[in-house]
Amino acid sequence: MNLDVVHDIQTVYRKLVTATSRPGTLVVLEREAKTLGVQIECLSSTILLARTVLDPEVTFKVIAKEEEAVSRMINQLTYSKPVELPEADFIFILHDASEEQLKEALNHAKVGNLLNPHESAMIILEVPDVTKGDSMILSGPGIQQESIITLPNATSWLGARNEKNREFPLGIDMYFVDQQDRLIALPRTTQIKGNGGEIIWDMLQ
Amino acid sequence: MNKTYNFAFFDEGSKREIRRATLKAIAIPGYQVPFASREMPIGRGWGTGGLQLTLSLIGKDDVLKVIDQGSDESVNAVNIKKLVSDTTGVRTTESTADASLIQSRHRVPEVPLQRDQILILQVPLPEPLRNFEPSEQETKKLHAEREYSGAWLMLFEQIMKYGIMATDADHPVMVHDRYVMAPSPIPRFDNAKLDDSEALILLGAGREKKVYALPPYTNVSSLAFDDYAFEIESFTNHACILCGSNDLFLDELVDGESGETYFQCNDTSNCLEMVNQKQISGVK
Ligand SMILES: [Zn+2]
Repeated sequence: MNLDVVHDIQTVYRKLVTATSRPGTLVVLEREAKTLGVQIECLSSTILLARTVLDPEVTFKVIAKEEEAVSRMINQLTYSKPVELPEADFIFILHDASEEQLKEALNHAKVGNLLNPHESAMIILEVPDVTKGDSMILSGPGIQQESIITLPNATSWLGARNEKNREFPLGIDMYFVDQQDRLIALPRTTQIKGNGGEIIWDMLQ
Repeated sequence: MNKTYNFAFFDEGSKREIRRATLKAIAIPGYQVPFASREMPIGRGWGTGGLQLTLSLIGKDDVLKVIDQGSDESVNAVNIKKLVSDTTGVRTTESTADASLIQSRHRVPEVPLQRDQILILQVPLPEPLRNFEPSEQETKKLHAEREYSGAWLMLFEQIMKYGIMATDADHPVMVHDRYVMAPSPIPRFDNAKLDDSEALILLGAGREKKVYALPPYTNVSSLAFDDYAFEIESFTNHACILCGSNDLFLDELVDGESGETYFQCNDTSNCLEMVNQKQISGVK
Protein backbone atom coordinates (compact mmCIF):
# COMPACT_ATOMS: atom_id res chain seq x y z
CA MET A 1 0.00 0.00 0.00
CA ASN A 2 1.37 3.37 -1.02
CA LEU A 3 0.67 6.52 0.95
CA ASP A 4 -2.72 7.94 0.00
CA VAL A 5 -2.04 11.67 0.02
CA VAL A 6 -5.68 12.47 0.73
CA HIS A 7 -6.89 9.84 3.20
CA ASP A 8 -3.68 8.83 4.98
CA ILE A 9 -2.64 12.46 5.40
CA GLN A 10 -6.11 13.22 6.78
CA THR A 11 -5.74 10.58 9.49
CA VAL A 12 -2.23 11.82 10.32
CA TYR A 13 -3.64 15.34 10.65
CA ARG A 14 -6.44 14.22 12.95
CA LYS A 15 -3.89 12.48 15.16
CA LEU A 16 -1.89 15.71 15.25
CA VAL A 17 -5.07 17.52 16.30
CA THR A 18 -5.61 14.98 19.09
CA ALA A 19 -1.99 15.17 20.21
CA THR A 20 -1.92 18.98 20.21
CA SER A 21 -5.25 19.40 21.97
CA ARG A 22 -4.35 16.74 24.58
CA PRO A 23 -0.67 17.32 25.38
CA GLY A 24 1.17 14.22 26.54
CA THR A 25 -1.35 11.87 24.91
CA LEU A 26 0.32 9.18 22.83
CA VAL A 27 -0.94 8.82 19.26
CA VAL A 28 0.15 6.04 16.91
CA LEU A 29 1.05 6.62 13.26
CA GLU A 30 1.98 2.99 12.58
CA ARG A 31 -0.66 2.32 9.92
CA GLU A 32 0.22 5.42 7.92
CA ALA A 33 3.96 4.83 8.39
CA LYS A 34 3.68 1.36 6.84
CA THR A 35 2.54 2.93 3.56
CA LEU A 36 5.93 4.58 3.18
CA GLY A 37 8.19 1.53 3.04
CA VAL A 38 11.64 1.59 4.60
CA GLN A 39 13.08 5.00 5.37
CA ILE A 40 16.81 5.38 5.63
CA GLU A 41 17.58 8.97 6.49
CA CYS A 42 14.84 9.74 8.99
CA LEU A 43 11.88 8.19 10.78
CA SER A 44 8.70 7.44 8.87
CA SER A 45 6.72 9.67 11.21
CA THR A 46 8.98 12.58 10.32
CA ILE A 47 8.10 12.12 6.64
CA LEU A 48 4.40 11.82 7.47
CA LEU A 49 4.48 15.07 9.44
CA ALA A 50 6.42 16.83 6.70
CA ARG A 51 3.88 15.73 4.10
CA THR A 52 0.98 16.84 6.30
CA VAL A 53 2.14 20.39 7.04
CA LEU A 54 4.75 21.42 4.46
CA ASP A 55 4.24 23.01 1.05
CA PRO A 56 5.73 25.95 -0.89
CA GLU A 57 3.96 28.43 1.41
CA VAL A 58 6.11 27.52 4.44
CA THR A 59 9.77 26.89 5.24
CA PHE A 60 11.76 24.28 7.14
CA LYS A 61 15.17 23.42 8.55
CA VAL A 62 16.67 19.98 9.15
CA ILE A 63 19.17 19.33 11.94
CA ALA A 64 20.95 16.03 11.23
CA LYS A 65 24.24 14.47 10.22
CA GLU A 66 22.90 14.11 6.69
CA GLU A 67 21.19 17.48 6.70
CA GLU A 68 21.66 18.14 3.00
CA ALA A 69 20.29 14.81 1.83
CA VAL A 70 17.27 14.95 4.13
CA SER A 71 16.56 18.57 3.21
CA ARG A 72 16.66 17.68 -0.45
CA MET A 73 14.31 14.76 0.07
CA ILE A 74 11.80 16.84 2.04
CA ASN A 75 12.00 19.60 -0.55
CA GLN A 76 11.32 17.12 -3.35
CA LEU A 77 8.37 15.61 -1.50
CA THR A 78 6.73 18.88 -0.44
CA TYR A 79 8.27 21.74 -2.51
CA SER A 80 8.85 23.51 0.79
CA LYS A 81 12.04 25.55 1.00
CA PRO A 82 14.87 24.87 3.48
CA VAL A 83 15.97 28.05 5.29
CA GLU A 84 18.16 29.06 8.24
CA LEU A 85 17.00 28.28 11.79
CA PRO A 86 15.64 31.71 12.84
CA GLU A 87 13.32 31.83 9.81
CA ALA A 88 12.14 28.22 9.79
CA ASP A 89 8.41 27.55 10.28
CA PHE A 90 9.17 23.87 10.91
CA ILE A 91 12.36 22.46 12.40
CA PHE A 92 13.08 18.75 12.07
CA ILE A 93 15.67 17.57 14.58
CA LEU A 94 16.64 14.02 13.68
CA HIS A 95 17.82 11.24 15.97
CA ASP A 96 21.49 11.70 15.05
CA ALA A 97 21.62 15.40 15.95
CA SER A 98 24.04 16.08 18.80
CA GLU A 99 22.86 17.48 22.11
CA GLU A 100 24.60 20.72 21.23
CA GLN A 101 22.84 20.95 17.88
CA LEU A 102 19.50 20.25 19.56
CA LYS A 103 20.00 23.01 22.09
CA GLU A 104 21.19 25.41 19.41
CA ALA A 105 18.15 24.64 17.26
CA LEU A 106 15.75 25.32 20.12
CA ASN A 107 17.60 28.48 21.10
CA HIS A 108 17.33 29.89 17.57
CA ALA A 109 13.77 28.76 16.83
CA LYS A 110 11.36 31.64 16.30
CA VAL A 111 8.71 32.22 18.96
CA GLY A 112 6.51 34.75 17.12
CA ASN A 113 5.76 38.19 18.51
CA LEU A 114 2.93 39.52 20.67
CA LEU A 115 0.99 40.73 17.62
CA ASN A 116 1.52 37.45 15.75
CA PRO A 117 2.37 34.65 18.20
CA HIS A 118 1.42 32.11 15.52
CA GLU A 119 4.51 33.10 13.53
CA SER A 120 6.53 30.65 15.58
CA ALA A 121 8.31 27.39 14.88
CA MET A 122 6.90 23.90 15.18
CA ILE A 123 9.65 21.52 16.33
CA ILE A 124 9.64 17.87 15.28
CA LEU A 125 12.11 15.93 17.40
CA GLU A 126 13.08 12.31 16.74
CA VAL A 127 13.66 10.29 19.90
CA PRO A 128 14.31 6.57 20.49
CA ASP A 129 11.13 5.91 22.51
CA VAL A 130 8.42 8.38 23.58
CA THR A 131 7.51 6.20 26.57
CA LYS A 132 10.94 5.88 28.20
CA GLY A 133 13.21 8.31 29.93
CA ASP A 134 12.63 11.09 32.41
CA SER A 135 9.35 11.23 34.26
CA MET A 136 7.58 14.58 34.17
CA ILE A 137 4.31 16.09 35.32
CA LEU A 138 2.26 18.03 32.78
CA SER A 139 -0.46 20.58 33.36
CA GLY A 140 -2.22 23.24 31.30
CA PRO A 141 -4.91 23.42 28.60
CA GLY A 142 -5.85 20.01 27.21
CA ILE A 143 -4.85 18.23 30.42
CA GLN A 144 -7.34 17.33 33.12
CA GLN A 145 -5.58 18.35 36.35
CA GLU A 146 -2.18 16.76 35.74
CA SER A 147 -0.71 13.90 33.76
CA ILE A 148 2.57 12.05 34.05
CA ILE A 149 4.63 11.06 31.03
CA THR A 150 8.19 9.99 30.38
CA LEU A 151 10.28 11.35 27.52
CA PRO A 152 13.93 10.69 26.67
CA ASN A 153 16.88 12.99 27.35
CA ALA A 154 14.93 15.77 29.02
CA THR A 155 18.19 17.37 30.13
CA SER A 156 19.02 18.14 26.51
CA TRP A 157 15.79 19.94 25.57
CA LEU A 158 13.65 20.80 28.58
CA GLY A 159 15.69 23.78 29.75
CA ALA A 160 15.80 25.40 26.32
CA ARG A 161 12.12 24.61 25.76
CA ASN A 162 11.03 26.17 29.04
CA GLU A 163 13.15 29.22 28.34
CA LYS A 164 11.52 29.68 24.91
CA ASN A 165 8.02 29.35 26.37
CA ARG A 166 8.50 31.68 29.33
CA GLU A 167 6.39 34.48 27.87
CA PHE A 168 3.09 33.00 26.68
CA PRO A 169 1.66 33.43 24.02
CA LEU A 170 5.16 33.44 22.54
CA GLY A 171 6.77 30.05 22.24
CA ILE A 172 7.48 26.85 20.36
CA ASP A 173 5.31 23.76 19.98
CA MET A 174 7.18 20.46 20.19
CA TYR A 175 6.26 17.12 18.61
CA PHE A 176 8.20 14.02 19.66
CA VAL A 177 8.24 11.05 17.27
CA ASP A 178 9.86 7.67 17.78
CA GLN A 179 10.95 4.52 15.95
CA GLN A 180 7.65 2.77 16.73
CA ASP A 181 5.77 5.53 14.87
CA ARG A 182 4.34 7.03 18.03
CA LEU A 183 3.93 10.74 18.67
CA ILE A 184 3.50 13.03 21.67
CA ALA A 185 2.98 16.79 21.49
CA LEU A 186 3.96 19.43 24.01
CA PRO A 187 2.51 22.74 22.80
CA ARG A 188 3.70 25.98 24.38
CA THR A 189 0.85 26.04 26.92
CA THR A 190 2.00 22.88 28.69
CA GLN A 191 3.67 23.40 32.05
CA ILE A 192 6.29 20.74 32.84
CA LYS A 193 7.61 19.83 36.26
CA GLY A 194 10.14 17.15 37.08
CA ASN A 195 8.48 14.17 38.75
CA GLY A 196 10.49 13.41 41.87
CA GLY A 197 13.08 15.98 40.91
CA GLU A 198 15.38 13.66 38.99
CA ILE A 199 15.50 15.87 35.89
CA ILE A 200 18.29 18.38 36.05
CA TRP A 201 18.18 20.87 33.27
CA ASP A 202 20.03 24.07 32.60
CA MET A 203 18.37 26.64 34.75
CA LEU A 204 18.84 29.97 33.10
CA GLN A 205 17.10 32.05 35.71
CA MET B 1 -20.70 10.61 -3.76
CA ASN B 2 -19.97 13.16 -6.45
CA LYS B 3 -16.71 12.17 -8.16
CA THR B 4 -16.15 15.45 -9.96
CA TYR B 5 -15.13 17.08 -6.66
CA ASN B 6 -12.03 16.49 -4.59
CA PHE B 7 -12.62 14.47 -1.43
CA ALA B 8 -14.02 17.01 1.02
CA PHE B 9 -14.33 19.55 -1.79
CA PHE B 10 -10.97 21.25 -1.27
CA ASP B 11 -7.66 20.57 -2.94
CA GLU B 12 -4.99 19.33 -0.53
CA GLY B 13 -3.15 22.69 -0.52
CA SER B 14 -6.22 24.49 0.81
CA LYS B 15 -6.65 21.87 3.51
CA ARG B 16 -3.00 22.10 4.52
CA GLU B 17 -3.25 25.85 4.95
CA ILE B 18 -6.23 25.70 7.28
CA ARG B 19 -4.77 22.67 9.06
CA ARG B 20 -1.57 24.56 9.89
CA ALA B 21 -3.64 27.48 11.19
CA THR B 22 -5.77 25.11 13.28
CA LEU B 23 -2.78 23.45 14.95
CA LYS B 24 -1.48 26.91 15.89
CA ALA B 25 -4.93 27.90 17.15
CA ILE B 26 -5.03 24.86 19.46
CA ALA B 27 -1.55 25.70 20.76
CA ILE B 28 -2.61 29.32 21.53
CA PRO B 29 -6.12 29.01 23.03
CA GLY B 30 -8.42 31.94 22.27
CA TYR B 31 -6.01 33.64 19.85
CA GLN B 32 -7.39 34.35 16.37
CA VAL B 33 -5.09 32.80 13.77
CA PRO B 34 -5.44 34.30 10.29
CA PHE B 35 -5.90 31.94 7.35
CA ALA B 36 -6.55 32.28 3.62
CA SER B 37 -10.30 31.67 3.57
CA ARG B 38 -11.46 30.01 0.36
CA GLU B 39 -14.46 30.74 -1.83
CA MET B 40 -17.26 28.31 -1.06
CA PRO B 41 -20.31 27.29 -3.07
CA ILE B 42 -22.62 28.53 -0.32
CA GLY B 43 -23.60 32.08 0.51
CA ARG B 44 -21.44 34.21 2.77
CA GLY B 45 -22.69 34.26 6.31
CA TRP B 46 -23.87 30.68 5.89
CA GLY B 47 -21.00 29.42 7.91
CA THR B 48 -18.15 29.17 5.45
CA GLY B 49 -15.62 29.40 8.29
CA GLY B 50 -17.13 26.44 10.09
CA LEU B 51 -17.54 24.57 6.83
CA GLN B 52 -13.89 25.06 5.91
CA LEU B 53 -12.85 23.69 9.30
CA THR B 54 -15.16 20.71 8.87
CA LEU B 55 -13.81 19.96 5.38
CA SER B 56 -10.19 20.20 6.56
CA LEU B 57 -10.88 17.76 9.41
CA ILE B 58 -13.26 15.20 7.98
CA GLY B 59 -12.27 11.66 7.01
CA LYS B 60 -14.07 8.60 5.69
CA ASP B 61 -14.84 7.25 9.18
CA ASP B 62 -16.38 10.43 10.56
CA VAL B 63 -20.05 10.85 11.39
CA LEU B 64 -21.26 14.41 10.90
CA LYS B 65 -23.98 16.39 12.61
CA VAL B 66 -24.84 19.92 11.49
CA ILE B 67 -27.15 22.17 13.49
CA ASP B 68 -28.35 25.67 12.86
CA GLN B 69 -29.69 27.44 15.96
CA GLY B 70 -30.50 24.10 17.52
CA SER B 71 -32.14 22.58 14.48
CA ASP B 72 -30.83 19.78 12.26
CA GLU B 73 -33.46 20.46 9.65
CA SER B 74 -33.00 24.11 8.76
CA VAL B 75 -32.19 24.81 5.10
CA ASN B 76 -28.76 26.01 6.13
CA ALA B 77 -27.89 22.86 8.09
CA VAL B 78 -29.28 20.60 5.37
CA ASN B 79 -27.29 22.36 2.62
CA ILE B 80 -24.04 22.12 4.56
CA LYS B 81 -24.66 18.45 5.37
CA LYS B 82 -25.40 17.75 1.72
CA LEU B 83 -22.27 19.49 0.45
CA VAL B 84 -20.08 17.57 2.93
CA SER B 85 -21.68 14.17 2.40
CA ASP B 86 -21.79 14.62 -1.41
CA THR B 87 -18.05 15.26 -1.49
CA THR B 88 -16.99 12.75 1.17
CA GLY B 89 -19.62 10.03 1.38
CA VAL B 90 -19.62 10.27 5.17
CA ARG B 91 -22.65 9.36 7.23
CA THR B 92 -24.64 12.16 8.80
CA THR B 93 -26.64 11.97 11.99
CA GLU B 94 -29.04 14.02 14.09
CA SER B 95 -27.94 12.36 17.32
CA THR B 96 -25.30 14.39 19.15
CA ALA B 97 -23.91 11.28 20.85
CA ASP B 98 -23.38 9.50 17.50
CA ALA B 99 -21.45 12.30 15.85
CA SER B 100 -17.66 12.57 15.70
CA LEU B 101 -17.80 16.05 14.15
CA ILE B 102 -20.52 18.54 15.09
CA GLN B 103 -20.77 21.75 13.12
CA SER B 104 -23.05 24.26 14.77
CA ARG B 105 -24.30 27.78 14.35
CA HIS B 106 -25.39 29.68 17.46
CA ARG B 107 -25.65 26.72 19.90
CA VAL B 108 -23.59 24.26 21.89
CA PRO B 109 -25.63 21.02 21.98
CA GLU B 110 -27.42 20.17 25.22
CA VAL B 111 -26.03 16.61 25.28
CA PRO B 112 -22.62 16.85 27.00
CA LEU B 113 -19.79 16.53 24.48
CA GLN B 114 -17.41 13.57 24.67
CA ARG B 115 -13.65 13.46 24.35
CA ASP B 116 -13.70 11.78 20.93
CA GLN B 117 -15.84 14.55 19.45
CA ILE B 118 -14.93 17.90 17.92
CA LEU B 119 -17.37 20.82 18.01
CA ILE B 120 -17.00 23.32 15.17
CA LEU B 121 -18.71 26.66 15.75
CA GLN B 122 -19.52 29.02 12.90
CA VAL B 123 -18.44 32.56 13.66
CA PRO B 124 -19.77 35.68 11.92
CA LEU B 125 -17.69 38.22 13.91
CA PRO B 126 -14.58 36.80 15.57
CA GLU B 127 -13.32 40.05 17.11
CA PRO B 128 -14.81 40.67 20.59
CA LEU B 129 -13.30 44.17 20.70
CA ARG B 130 -14.74 45.30 17.35
CA ASN B 131 -17.74 47.04 18.95
CA PHE B 132 -15.57 49.84 20.25
CA GLU B 133 -12.47 49.54 18.06
CA PRO B 134 -13.05 49.41 14.29
CA SER B 135 -9.40 48.96 13.30
CA GLU B 136 -8.04 45.41 13.02
CA GLN B 137 -4.52 46.70 13.59
CA GLU B 138 -5.64 48.32 16.85
CA THR B 139 -7.56 45.30 18.15
CA LYS B 140 -4.54 43.11 17.41
CA LYS B 141 -2.47 45.52 19.49
CA LEU B 142 -4.98 45.41 22.35
CA HIS B 143 -4.86 41.59 22.37
CA ALA B 144 -1.05 41.68 22.19
CA GLU B 145 -0.90 43.94 25.23
CA ARG B 146 -3.72 42.14 27.02
CA GLU B 147 -5.35 45.56 27.19
CA TYR B 148 -8.98 44.70 27.83
CA SER B 149 -10.20 47.72 29.79
CA GLY B 150 -12.27 48.70 26.73
CA ALA B 151 -14.08 45.36 26.78
CA TRP B 152 -14.89 45.78 30.48
CA LEU B 153 -16.00 49.37 29.93
CA MET B 154 -18.35 48.27 27.16
CA LEU B 155 -20.02 45.76 29.50
CA PHE B 156 -20.14 48.29 32.29
CA GLU B 157 -21.84 50.87 30.08
CA GLN B 158 -24.48 48.30 29.17
CA ILE B 159 -25.13 47.64 32.85
CA MET B 160 -25.43 51.38 33.55
CA LYS B 161 -27.86 51.74 30.67
CA TYR B 162 -29.99 48.63 31.14
CA GLY B 163 -29.33 47.62 34.73
CA ILE B 164 -28.19 44.18 33.54
CA MET B 165 -25.65 42.77 31.13
CA ALA B 166 -27.46 43.28 27.86
CA THR B 167 -25.50 40.88 25.70
CA ASP B 168 -28.08 38.27 24.74
CA ALA B 169 -25.58 36.19 22.78
CA ASP B 170 -21.86 36.18 22.02
CA HIS B 171 -21.04 37.35 25.55
CA PRO B 172 -17.23 37.64 25.61
CA VAL B 173 -15.14 35.12 27.53
CA MET B 174 -11.62 35.10 28.96
CA VAL B 175 -9.62 32.10 27.77
CA HIS B 176 -6.73 30.56 29.75
CA ASP B 177 -6.48 33.86 31.62
CA ARG B 178 -4.96 35.46 28.51
CA TYR B 179 -7.24 36.22 25.57
CA VAL B 180 -10.70 37.76 25.47
CA MET B 181 -12.61 35.76 22.88
CA ALA B 182 -15.95 35.94 21.06
CA PRO B 183 -17.66 32.59 21.70
CA SER B 184 -19.82 33.12 18.55
CA PRO B 185 -23.50 34.08 18.96
CA ILE B 186 -24.37 31.27 21.37
CA PRO B 187 -26.79 32.22 24.18
CA ARG B 188 -25.20 33.05 27.55
CA PHE B 189 -26.77 29.76 28.67
CA ASP B 190 -24.13 27.92 26.59
CA ASN B 191 -21.05 29.82 27.80
CA ALA B 192 -20.52 27.46 30.74
CA LYS B 193 -20.30 24.50 28.36
CA LEU B 194 -17.10 25.99 26.91
CA ASP B 195 -15.31 25.89 30.24
CA ASP B 196 -13.32 22.74 30.96
CA SER B 197 -14.97 20.99 27.97
CA GLU B 198 -14.35 17.30 27.33
CA ALA B 199 -14.25 17.94 23.59
CA LEU B 200 -12.01 20.14 21.47
CA ILE B 201 -13.91 23.23 20.25
CA LEU B 202 -12.84 24.96 17.04
CA LEU B 203 -14.25 28.26 15.83
CA GLY B 204 -14.10 29.46 12.22
CA ALA B 205 -14.89 32.82 10.65
CA GLY B 206 -14.92 32.66 6.84
CA ARG B 207 -15.46 36.27 5.93
CA GLU B 208 -12.99 37.54 8.52
CA LYS B 209 -10.53 34.72 7.74
CA LYS B 210 -9.82 33.64 11.31
CA VAL B 211 -9.74 30.34 13.16
CA TYR B 212 -9.42 29.96 16.90
CA ALA B 213 -9.73 27.15 19.38
CA LEU B 214 -10.56 25.99 22.86
CA PRO B 215 -8.64 22.82 23.71
CA PRO B 216 -10.38 20.48 26.16
CA TYR B 217 -9.94 21.27 29.87
CA THR B 218 -9.25 24.93 29.20
CA ASN B 219 -10.31 27.62 31.60
CA VAL B 220 -13.04 29.73 29.96
CA SER B 221 -14.87 32.35 32.02
CA SER B 222 -17.55 34.84 31.00
CA LEU B 223 -16.58 38.45 31.58
CA ALA B 224 -18.43 39.75 34.63
CA PHE B 225 -18.16 42.11 37.59
CA ASP B 226 -18.15 41.32 41.30
CA ASP B 227 -21.33 43.30 41.88
CA TYR B 228 -22.92 42.42 38.51
CA ALA B 229 -22.47 38.69 38.17
CA PHE B 230 -22.79 36.94 34.85
CA GLU B 231 -26.29 35.54 34.57
CA ILE B 232 -27.66 33.08 32.08
CA GLU B 233 -31.07 33.18 30.50
CA SER B 234 -33.46 31.56 32.96
CA PHE B 235 -36.44 29.42 32.09
CA THR B 236 -37.14 28.09 35.56
CA ASN B 237 -40.81 29.05 35.50
CA HIS B 238 -41.28 27.40 32.13
CA ALA B 239 -40.95 23.93 30.70
CA CYS B 240 -40.72 22.52 27.20
CA ILE B 241 -44.20 21.76 25.89
CA LEU B 242 -42.91 18.55 24.25
CA CYS B 243 -40.45 16.94 26.68
CA GLY B 244 -41.11 18.88 29.89
CA SER B 245 -37.50 19.99 30.42
CA ASN B 246 -37.05 23.11 32.49
CA ASP B 247 -33.27 23.16 32.74
CA LEU B 248 -32.43 23.51 29.03
CA PHE B 249 -32.40 26.44 26.62
CA LEU B 250 -35.99 27.09 25.52
CA ASP B 251 -37.47 29.11 22.68
CA GLU B 252 -40.53 31.20 23.42
CA LEU B 253 -43.09 30.60 20.70
CA VAL B 254 -46.58 31.91 19.94
CA ASP B 255 -49.41 29.61 19.00
CA GLY B 256 -50.77 30.87 15.69
CA GLU B 257 -54.41 30.07 16.48
CA SER B 258 -54.82 30.80 20.18
CA GLY B 259 -52.17 33.52 20.34
CA GLU B 260 -50.83 32.00 23.55
CA THR B 261 -47.13 31.77 24.21
CA TYR B 262 -45.46 28.47 24.97
CA PHE B 263 -41.93 27.16 25.38
CA GLN B 264 -40.08 24.51 23.46
CA CYS B 265 -36.51 23.16 23.48
CA ASN B 266 -34.19 24.98 21.10
CA ASP B 267 -32.09 21.79 20.67
CA THR B 268 -34.70 19.82 18.74
CA SER B 269 -32.83 16.51 18.33
CA ASN B 270 -32.17 16.30 22.06
CA CYS B 271 -35.84 17.14 22.76
CA LEU B 272 -36.97 14.34 20.47
CA GLU B 273 -34.65 11.87 22.21
CA MET B 274 -36.06 12.92 25.59
CA VAL B 275 -39.62 12.45 24.33
CA ASN B 276 -38.76 8.99 22.98
CA GLN B 277 -37.06 7.98 26.24
CA LYS B 278 -40.15 8.98 28.19
CA GLN B 279 -42.39 6.95 25.92
CA ILE B 280 -40.15 3.89 26.31
CA SER B 281 -40.06 4.16 30.10
CA GLY B 282 -43.81 4.83 30.11
CA VAL B 283 -44.46 1.53 28.33
CA LYS B 284 -42.66 -0.54 30.99
ZN1 LIG C 1 -38.05 19.58 24.89
